[in-house]
Amino acid sequence: MPTFEELRQQGQAAWAAVEKPARPLFVVSINTSSIAAGARATYAALEKLAPSLGFDLMQTGDDGITWAEPIVQVRKPDGQHVLYGHVTPDRAEAFAAAAMQGVAKDHAVGVIHGSADGVPMLWELDWAKMQVRWLMYNCGVIDPDNIDHYFGRGGYHQFMDAVKMSRDDLINIVKGSTLRGHSGSFFSTGTKWQFLKDATAEPKYLVCNADEGDPGAWVNRVVMESDPHMLIEGLLIGAYATGATWGWIYLREEYPLAYERLNRAIADCRDRGILGENALGTGVRFDCEVVRGAGAYVCGDETGLISSINDERGMPRIKPPFPAQSGVLGKPTNVNNVETYACVTTLLRVGAETFSTVGPEANRGTKMFTVSGACAKTGCIEVPFGITVNELLAGIGGIAGGRPFKALQQGGPLSGLLPASIAGDLPLEPEPFRAAGVGMGGGGLIFLDDTHCVVDLNVMMAHFLEDESCARCTTCRIGNQRMVEIFERTARGEGREEDAGHLKQLDASMQFSNCFHGTLSPTLARNTLQHFREEYDAHLYEHRCPAKVCQGMIKYVVVGNSPALAEAAKICPDHIAATGPQPDTDGRCSRGGACRDVAPDEIAVQDRYDGAIPLRVIAPADVARSG
Amino acid sequence: MPDNEATLEIGHLVSDFKPADGDLMGALHAVQHHYGYVPKIAMKVVARQLRLSEAQVYGAATFYSEFRLTPPPETLISWCSGPTCRLKGGDRIRQALETELGIGMGQNTPDNKLGLHFGQCNGTCEHAAQVWVDGKVTGPLTAADAVKLVRDLKK
Repeated sequence: MPTFEELRQQGQAAWAAVEKPARPLFVVSINTSSIAAGARATYAALEKLAPSLGFDLMQTGDDGITWAEPIVQVRKPDGQHVLYGHVTPDRAEAFAAAAMQGVAKDHAVGVIHGSADGVPMLWELDWAKMQVRWLMYNCGVIDPDNIDHYFGRGGYHQFMDAVKMSRDDLINIVKGSTLRGHSGSFFSTGTKWQFLKDATAEPKYLVCNADEGDPGAWVNRVVMESDPHMLIEGLLIGAYATGATWGWIYLREEYPLAYERLNRAIADCRDRGILGENALGTGVRFDCEVVRGAGAYVCGDETGLISSINDERGMPRIKPPFPAQSGVLGKPTNVNNVETYACVTTLLRVGAETFSTVGPEANRGTKMFTVSGACAKTGCIEVPFGITVNELLAGIGGIAGGRPFKALQQGGPLSGLLPASIAGDLPLEPEPFRAAGVGMGGGGLIFLDDTHCVVDLNVMMAHFLEDESCARCTTCRIGNQRMVEIFERTARGEGREEDAGHLKQLDASMQFSNCFHGTLSPTLARNTLQHFREEYDAHLYEHRCPAKVCQGMIKYVVVGNSPALAEAAKICPDHIAATGPQPDTDGRCSRGGACRDVAPDEIAVQDRYDGAIPLRVIAPADVARSG
Repeated sequence: MPDNEATLEIGHLVSDFKPADGDLMGALHAVQHHYGYVPKIAMKVVARQLRLSEAQVYGAATFYSEFRLTPPPETLISWCSGPTCRLKGGDRIRQALETELGIGMGQNTPDNKLGLHFGQCNGTCEHAAQVWVDGKVTGPLTAADAVKLVRDLKK
């Protein structure tokens, strides 16, 4: 087996060939988001052009600049390194020619190294300069399938440093760093590792929670698709610290590319004696495998995950016993999120001292966030803890179209909903969010503007929470069913006065559930009644959806005339002939709104108040006159 | 395929999986990868291989929404039920898909050519509102786009 030193030198040589290429090197981002934008076809097109134009080609993972995918970086022999965006397959040929000749101005996003006329420095752009890319050190930089690249940039050096310390010293460093679980639990990682170290039963297991079931969060996916070795190194460090000898990476089924890349990384590690009986000659025995989930949100709960690996229905269990006492197969187990293990690698890479210079005292270091919804840019960023929501939003260009920032739905369905007036000033740290009655969550940030309806969001979330309940606890199972009914009725204009009181009662009952799914399910509804009461009441008392979203309270009405109406009639899946002004639908309209997509000026969305004759206030004098 | 042949074939598929080793998910995935779904007979074979009861395997297979117990359609449209897609008109796309196809979530058309699956957010939110057509992210879509998509697939 090769020694660490041999692997490091091999890696440095391989990486030097990338940093100082002999001829231009085109680096294409291949990740789930970029693939959806056509990156594989772009890569294939560039592959055909490479021999004749004289450049080399390489893949990389995800740099988080999702709004500009497909992304291609070009590294030139003189050291110039430019990042280009929107290199769709049809534009690949023109792009390649321009980039080879000089700079492909049409596509240039920013300069990473060197300079290029008229192109800004990438890291000075608004969305870039607020970031600290520690966890994302290799993301969008290296080829995730190339272990030499990982070694070349300092990979596995952290593990080699870790084993030189005593296990207690190592755990104390983790404790002292303030590092806490990045899944949203924010429980002290060092303390958790101590629990496992202190456990006496054997064997001991490490589990990596890569289930990432919170919709709107894909931070773990970015890490696994871009730098799988950072995760494996974190597991190795954890194995040394705790005495664990086997690990499972529980990966959600919806991440097939991460599955490929993790498996490739594990195989490469086994071939080089990094995983196995004697990790890099250190005497640490540890190996791991990926086990895939199959669509159950509660398998993101650590005990649900453990049940799933135990060949059972993935239903969460009551704690105690805690996983460190009895986990997978009844043995001591530590479950941590992908990002948490990656944080340990990062902590050792930058050093405890540097780590403590970023972020506020209670929360040192960085956090990865994914932003989506109404914000101008959708993507993945890494910022120090403590940056406020407004600062982050401003950095990514605010709300698209200059619309008002209405609300933030962060951390998945169980973390709640806040109006912009409160969310905006909150520092992105767990404590301020808890003080505001919500959770910060694992990194998903979904922004809402004034075209979105909070009641409609509740309908969607209530369905999700009810669907995903494992159904063990009556309070969670039945409570979520009742919440679905209440919000469905409210969105149809059939809300009842007693609903708000019932929601409060359900909230109280559901606190008697076995796991966070039950206890936190009522959060979003509670926040809605606290902060969006007017909007809720409009649905309830006025049978009106102010944002004109709730389909039960709107109708599509022909208000204009043009050839577009014929298109509208053609596209209508209900086969309603759009003759104005009020087509006779016989109640058939399923409210899909396809008609309005093709004839936006001719078909309007109206509610019962549009076109209603306003009441004239009758003054006493008028009454007398009318006699 | 007669039962004993199927049993042999499935037995080969899951022969590397071991009892009490975290292998049930892997075994079920292996079966579904091969057949497109988990046939009832597979649960017998997996149970025997992993020394579980059939009820335990059936219980697990029915717990997870991504394990199918019925054959998939020729072309599967997975609709994203996530919140960002919802904000971008995802619910109207669902209405359009269900109405145009004449089926509900989880169902196939009578000729088995097309089917709808209730999908979860996978984090390609820059393409919201989206569907997956045989696993390929397709979006952003308007409701009109969704209708056109179905009509094209029906041809």
